[in-house]
Amino acid sequence: MANATGVAGEAAAGSQLEPHLLPVLSARLSAIVREMNATLMKASRSSVIKNSKDFSCGLLTFDHRLLSVEDCIPIHIAALEQATKPLTEFFDDIRPGDAFMNNCPYTGNSHHADMTLCVPVFVDDEPMFWTLSRAHHADIGAPIPTTYLTEAATIYEEGVHLPCVRIQEGFKDRADIIRMCRTKIRVADLWYGDYLAQVGACRIGERRLKELTERYGRDVIKTFIREWMDYGDRMMAAEIAKLPKGRWRFENRHDPVPGVAEDGIPVNVEVEIDPDAGTITVDTTDNVDCVPGGLNLTEATATASCRIGVFYNLNPDLPHNQGSADRIRIRLRENCALGIPRYPVGTSVATTNLTSRLIAAVASCFAQIGTNNGMGEFAYSQALGEAVISGNDQTRGGLPFVNQVFIGYGGGGASHGYDGWLSSGAACDGGQMQVDSVEVVEGMYPIVIEERGCARDSGGPGTWDGAPGIEGTFRPLGGAMTVYWGSDGDVTPAKGVAGGGAAATSGNWRREADGTVTTLPAFGDATIAADEAVRFRACGGGGYGDPAARDPERVLRSVRRGWVSPERARDVHRVAVSWNGATLDWDLDENTTADLRAAL
Amino acid sequence: MTYELCIDIGGTFTDCLVEAPDGGRHIFKVPTTPGVFQNGFMNAIETSAEGFGMTLADFLQKVDRIVHGSTVSTNALVERKVARTGYLCNAGHLDVLTIREALPKPVFDWRLDYPDPYVARGRTFGITGRMDAAGNELEPLDEAAVEAAVAALRAGDVEAIGVAYLWSISNPAHELRTRQIIADMWPEVPVTLSHELNPIGREYRRTIATVIDASLQPIVSSYVRALTGALEAAGYGNDLLLANCMGGMMPPEELIRRPIYSVMSGPTLAPMAAQQLLPGRNLIVADMGGTTFDVSALREGAPVVSPEAWIGPDMLGMAKIDVRSVGAGGGSIAWVDAGGMLRVGPHSAAAVPGPACYGRGGTQPTITDANLVLGYLDPDHFLGGSMPLDRDAAEGVLTPLAETLGLTIEALSHAIFTTSNNTMVGLITDMTVKEGIDPRDSSIVVGGGATALHIAEIAREMGIEEILIPRFAAGLSAFGGLISDMRREEVASQLHASDAFDVSRVNGVLDDLYAAGKAFLDRAGVPLERQRFDYVFLARYRYQSWEIEVPFTPTDGHITEADVEALVAAFHDMHERVYSVRMDGDVVEFTTWKVRATGVRPGRITPAGTPAATSRPATPKLARRVYLHERSGMVECPVYFGAELRPGDYLDGPAIIEEPTTTIQVPQGARVTLDSEDNYQMLLGDVGAPS
Repeated sequence: MANATGVAGEAAAGSQLEPHLLPVLSARLSAIVREMNATLMKASRSSVIKNSKDFSCGLLTFDHRLLSVEDCIPIHIAALEQATKPLTEFFDDIRPGDAFMNNCPYTGNSHHADMTLCVPVFVDDEPMFWTLSRAHHADIGAPIPTTYLTEAATIYEEGVHLPCVRIQEGFKDRADIIRMCRTKIRVADLWYGDYLAQVGACRIGERRLKELTERYGRDVIKTFIREWMDYGDRMMAAEIAKLPKGRWRFENRHDPVPGVAEDGIPVNVEVEIDPDAGTITVDTTDNVDCVPGGLNLTEATATASCRIGVFYNLNPDLPHNQGSADRIRIRLRENCALGIPRYPVGTSVATTNLTSRLIAAVASCFAQIGTNNGMGEFAYSQALGEAVISGNDQTRGGLPFVNQVFIGYGGGGASHGYDGWLSSGAACDGGQMQVDSVEVVEGMYPIVIEERGCARDSGGPGTWDGAPGIEGTFRPLGGAMTVYWGSDGDVTPAKGVAGGGAAATSGNWRREADGTVTTLPAFGDATIAADEAVRFRACGGGGYGDPAARDPERVLRSVRRGWVSPERARDVHRVAVSWNGATLDWDLDENTTADLRAAL
Repeated sequence: MTYELCIDIGGTFTDCLVEAPDGGRHIFKVPTTPGVFQNGFMNAIETSAEGFGMTLADFLQKVDRIVHGSTVSTNALVERKVARTGYLCNAGHLDVLTIREALPKPVFDWRLDYPDPYVARGRTFGITGRMDAAGNELEPLDEAAVEAAVAALRAGDVEAIGVAYLWSISNPAHELRTRQIIADMWPEVPVTLSHELNPIGREYRRTIATVIDASLQPIVSSYVRALTGALEAAGYGNDLLLANCMGGMMPPEELIRRPIYSVMSGPTLAPMAAQQLLPGRNLIVADMGGTTFDVSALREGAPVVSPEAWIGPDMLGMAKIDVRSVGAGGGSIAWVDAGGMLRVGPHSAAAVPGPACYGRGGTQPTITDANLVLGYLDPDHFLGGSMPLDRDAAEGVLTPLAETLGLTIEALSHAIFTTSNNTMVGLITDMTVKEGIDPRDSSIVVGGGATALHIAEIAREMGIEEILIPRFAAGLSAFGGLISDMRREEVASQLHASDAFDVSRVNGVLDDLYAAGKAFLDRAGVPLERQRFDYVFLARYRYQSWEIEVPFTPTDGHITEADVEALVAAFHDMHERVYSVRMDGDVVEFTTWKVRATGVRPGRITPAGTPAATSRPATPKLARRVYLHERSGMVECPVYFGAELRPGDYLDGPAIIEEPTTTIQVPQGARVTLDSEDNYQMLLGDVGAPS
């Protein structure tokens, strides 16, 4: 309510649009995107999409300006406009009924497993919009059955690439393209079902945009688009004007990856805020050259990461359109692992690992500007709780299976006034992924999840704590299974800021038949026998502020949830709690707490 | 010569809708009495008795059915004032209620605190013992651990216990044995088993429903006993029926056994009213009150059911009739954001202080203030003239906003009106289109006092042609209760793939479900000729995990080998309808089977829509100045008094119809006719350009 009546920005003076049409039409676009998302999720087949919501839809103007996105995977949506830009360069015969598939990192896409379907929307023969759906497919036809190929140094080791390929014509599939994909992609029926779900989403968006434009008229819609972008621009300028002027740096480091980056990959960012000009500049040029593996960012994910790190620190109510995005100036360098990859270097893992490092670096960099800004780092982790599992299902006559599971995520970083969000996942996820139900996964694949829960004391302590990571153990049922994972956070966990502590590292283990537990590397693959199991712990989030200043009531709540041990409450937060069997709950011991805190 | 009553307890008022022996319906309102709702309940009956010139005792002698929708359990859940509950789960899975399915959050917003689990970890006990998906026992139940947990829970003074183990839907042995152990040690404590309450796969949903149900046991049973006690003391001995969240009624003892069915039950009565008013149709039911706008929908007469109802930070876990809310009511506040855009809501002036024009200290401009300035509300006839509105106050709070935006006060008010309407358009779109219901093939049924002012523009925006506004719109839920049926849903999970379909096992399940449903109706005293059973299955394509609901009609309660193909075809059709795609060659997995047992209420009401024998133009009572967007200003507009209209009367917009508890805005181009059953039917005519 702080910015309710009386506190108005620069009104839309000289507006050509009736005053209600800005809120009305922008809300209508949001509803269209929500309808697209719902269509895609419900009709899709793979658990990547349907259970964990690893997909996103959005609307662009035909001249490639971000018009509307809804709550979706942020790394998908924050630079969506790059996915269509090459289309109008490649094609001079775009027609109604066309659909183009773009999953190529060198034509504006995020990474090879995110297939981005782009449908041009014509109204009265005039091309006006693009509807997009981007979905992470369970398989993309890479040499090994995973979509995250850490060691793939070039695109020749990746899956099928469709660099802006016309996949529908006259509202019908092009059979040759479909045949090509079905030949190369594992469990092709699954892929095709997901593809159809994407088509359904884009076509529904197309129909709705046409109806909307026909109802209001092309001229009104064009005026609206102009004012909607101006509005995003004004909102963003007003938000940036609240921040101090200056330039800050932040650094973190991705874990070592054998054969790709033996010493890990340092990540440096510089953030410059100019409240007078209303711009924030994010510079990632001071980073290493592309590495010989799949960790390199694509231009789309590097751009999106910089924007996301900024947006995480600003009013979430901002319109996320081209108007607001363009006030974030981004400096990227060619042939840089955190910039623009040089063809044909590999980018298979561009949406997760370095992306999460970069987003967190930008988001956490804000902690240095003071005024209660910034966040503890997000979990770095794609531990075995997010493994790609494959094998033959002996409970179903040896039926082959391959899919990614989403059993446990890392925790969110803390910010001023708020603890980190449980299951936020890494910074690239924005807390948008659903967690698999144990029963859904066990019902679909031959595995048993022996245990899953919040890993106690794994969040970074602070005045506000980072969220704990999720830990668990699972094993194959009836036969062996192969697991692929690429963790990060096993060596360098999420750091705290403003005096807050770091989270626990992530970890991956194998439990052998005789009960021996051995540590698995942060990146790898393994075949797990029927009498073995794997165990994982996802990284927690970083803390914010001095842990000994944490409100004792918050400490108590964390103990009651099982997130913090009584020992850590005492030693780190200087708060004493005691168990009460009569109420079956922990109580605060105020006297001892006062003594503990006085002793500081 | 009997009366029937429906008593609907709302936040502010308790409504009693009475159907008199002559078929006439009368509504009485008394203040709600929080904490002791049964007092307001009895006051409502007493006030009704007075209205008919009788003593309470005499009146109750003539009443043969009382239907009641209460918010007791909903309030208890929202305020978390529920019984202290213990929860037994699998060892290693203590955080099912904390992790949930990962909670939805706005993507760029981290200024949030993660909510506590529904049952505190201290009262959560992990028990060794495990089934797999096929129901094989991987690990036996650790009975000593159960005994230790029960002893601790008893010492810890819990009032109810929920038990939810993984795959109890495939093999319930561990849950059943656990209940036996509890009963042996502590027979008085109420216990809910997950596989009995909510046999669906997805442990969080089954578990949350289980612990919610357990936690409501003491509250609902003491409330129901207080009600029945008060009614008995007043000499009432006939039927008392309580609303459930499936849009039907249950006898009190049934609701005590399954208290979760009472959660959010009141709002589900509105779609049931609509179902009877316009049977067999695609309908959208819109209900706008002071703080929220509620929407529900019916597909070809069947209410849309959602498995994903939320209550605070948790799912209900049970399928219920889908009623969705958005914070858009008469009290929603208009403001201008930092980018210069007009916004309406989500903040609300609520009931206190309320809109500025109420004169109770409201200082923020609200939708109601805008409606007053636009002439849609009459300051002297609001709520039948019982509450004069202050137009100057409304203008006073709207003026600064108008100046900021450089608009006249009327143009601003219109912008507020239209912006708020569009919030509701968004909600209706979300609700219907996702369910495969095209709004353009649907009609709207109006409930709630504030809806009829807004609904015509909403309908036009969505391309909807026809609106039904019952005279009892403001009491649509109570009306729905009055006319509703007895209903209960029996559910079982049993997986059958279309390439390995076992007809005899399915028939076994259908037999069990039918028997359970029939037993319910028999216990409730529903005679055979009024018992009805509807069958539904849930299915998906292989490797999908979201099922969709498909109705089917077995012959004599059984299917044959020959029917399987038709079941598969019905699934393909429904999938295409809901999601626009079908995959004819793919394996279909049938996961869940349901039987809805209905005890049809005797003496059904005449549906709306009967045209009057003759029609004639109505005569306006007076005229007042109303804002017309087409003419960009205030114009003289005829005003009709509903009390003076008779069946067959019609009128054309622009016009206003005043009813004691609602005001109808009739836009230009629309025609309203009063039908034979006292409902206003509005036809919007040619859809004009957007306003």
